[in-house]
Amino acid sequence: MTETIGIQLVSYSGAMGLILLGIFALVNYEHLIRVIFGLILLEAGVNLFLITLAYRADAVAPIMIEGQTAAMVDPIPHALVLTAIVIGVAVQALALALVIKTYQKYGTLNTRILAQRIAEESGTRMIEGIPTEVKKV
Amino acid sequence: MNAIWLVVLPLLGAFLLPLVYRENIKLRIGIGPFVLGLNLIIAVMIWFDVAANGAHTIVMGGFPAPLGIIFYVDQLALLFVIMVILGTLILWLGKEKDYIGYIQEETLLLLIVGGSCGLVLSGDLFNIYVFYEIVAVSSYGLAASRGSYAASVRFLILGAFGSSLLLLGIALIYAVTGTLNLAHLAVLAPQSLQGIVGVTAFVFIIIGLGVKAELFPVNTWVPEVYTTAPARISALLGGIVSKLALLVILRLLITLYESSAAHLLLLTLGVLGVITGELAAMRATHLRQMLAYSSIGQLGLVAIAFSIPGPAGIIAGTALALHHAIVKPALFMLTKAWGKQLSDLAGASKVSLLSSLLFLVFALSLIGIPPLPGFWAKFLLLKGALETNIAAYQMAIAVVLIATVIETTYFMRIVRLMFQEELKKTSTLKAPALQELMPACVFLAILLISVFAIKPMGTHLNTLAISAADKSVYIDQTFDKTLFP
Repeated sequence: MTETIGIQLVSYSGAMGLILLGIFALVNYEHLIRVIFGLILLEAGVNLFLITLAYRADAVAPIMIEGQTAAMVDPIPHALVLTAIVIGVAVQALALALVIKTYQKYGTLNTRILAQRIAEESGTRMIEGIPTEVKKV
Repeated sequence: MNAIWLVVLPLLGAFLLPLVYRENIKLRIGIGPFVLGLNLIIAVMIWFDVAANGAHTIVMGGFPAPLGIIFYVDQLALLFVIMVILGTLILWLGKEKDYIGYIQEETLLLLIVGGSCGLVLSGDLFNIYVFYEIVAVSSYGLAASRGSYAASVRFLILGAFGSSLLLLGIALIYAVTGTLNLAHLAVLAPQSLQGIVGVTAFVFIIIGLGVKAELFPVNTWVPEVYTTAPARISALLGGIVSKLALLVILRLLITLYESSAAHLLLLTLGVLGVITGELAAMRATHLRQMLAYSSIGQLGLVAIAFSIPGPAGIIAGTALALHHAIVKPALFMLTKAWGKQLSDLAGASKVSLLSSLLFLVFALSLIGIPPLPGFWAKFLLLKGALETNIAAYQMAIAVVLIATVIETTYFMRIVRLMFQEELKKTSTLKAPALQELMPACVFLAILLISVFAIKPMGTHLNTLAISAADKSVYIDQTFDKTLFP
């Protein structure tokens, strides 16, 4: 029994660790590839969390066989994770495709510089923080 | 008519479109509007059916709830479905004549309509996540459709972060309740979702959905995408699609979170959105950037309205959302020719009086000048907030009124530039083409018709909101009475 609690504990803390690492990477880094790695970690963490929800001690795969009495794991989170993984891969592929296009166009992958370039191109000025002077339009 | 067609038809159309384009070049003009028109007819037919017989559910694959996946079809959801389809159809008029990238853009437009219909109709949390992803991914594609890849990839990162948090919230709800069906959750919520885990799940979900709903902390993508995407796409994303995520939040508030903590959280985010959006709009120097920030403020208003418990909040929020869905796309369509620095708009009424007048009417309605519908929407919001008798909502009223003053400042500043300044000699201002003005004119017609139809619309909204605010209707429609007596 203590062993199964150990498994769940490791799995839960693994999921939480991945989620926190992912959010840390998203917030902390400015390089787009690193940010996308952060996203991948975050998604992996959420998926691991769902898998851990399904875990039952000493349970078997949820397939009906005659005369079966052992407990089964919860199949619903498995189905959800399968879908979530597919969606995640598609989004990551799209992200990387856009990254390639962005690099070809701007020659940089730094998000902060990219934000400035977007603002310059569209002729807007970035609005952040408290105004230091009021400009007359 | 089965409401499943509302989702299936646009999806089918989206995936058949590339094939049709390859085979028959002449069909390509009509196929998108044809699919949407068919969809609109189906939606209106279901609307009348539901108005006569009440809400109903659709069971997928023959598995009844709570095991199977359901669609919940009521007037509130159908109203937003009709809004999306009609809005996309009107914006279809505003496409450029000589643009080559039709096929990608039209496929994605059909995809976003199908995803949106599924998002508002779905009665299953995980289905909501899947449809939310469909809508999100197609909007990343639409944002990048004219080469603004950098804005799109920044949008994608924030959106994917939101989707992951949404999934985490759904996983937490599943962990404490063991079900994903909204009606089943509504039965279980009073016991199991009031604790700390339930509220945490709601925080994750609201931040996740908030990315599309332009809620306060996660809306940094808004100005970037709306200034770089084509006018038609900004109009669709900002004016129409952004409300659907708010509708999902409203559904969760009604069925799952009746506690005041969840309502106050949405109220706080809404108030912060209104303050930041309007203040930033006042400082914007570019017309499109101003409209983008103003749409953050307007969606903050809708969030405040939806956070008011009971039918009053639903009436006010729906009215505000529909009004904004008419006005903001029209304003964005005008920016195709005039999406410039504000100072360049001096003397614009001499270039095109019609466009300037259109801008004036829509701006007045957005501010809330009495005969126009915008006034009634804001009035309903203030009335609903006053009647709650809760201090936080009274504070929100003050914020809404101050925001209205700020709104007046920045819109009237532009109107003054347009009508009172002389046209500069160096001005490069051109009159917008008729094609671009067409959607705005149609939206104006809808706006003016609704001025005269305020009273019947009010009574309709009232009955709709009362049935939508009652979660026992939702539960009764989904389950056999024998299952949960």
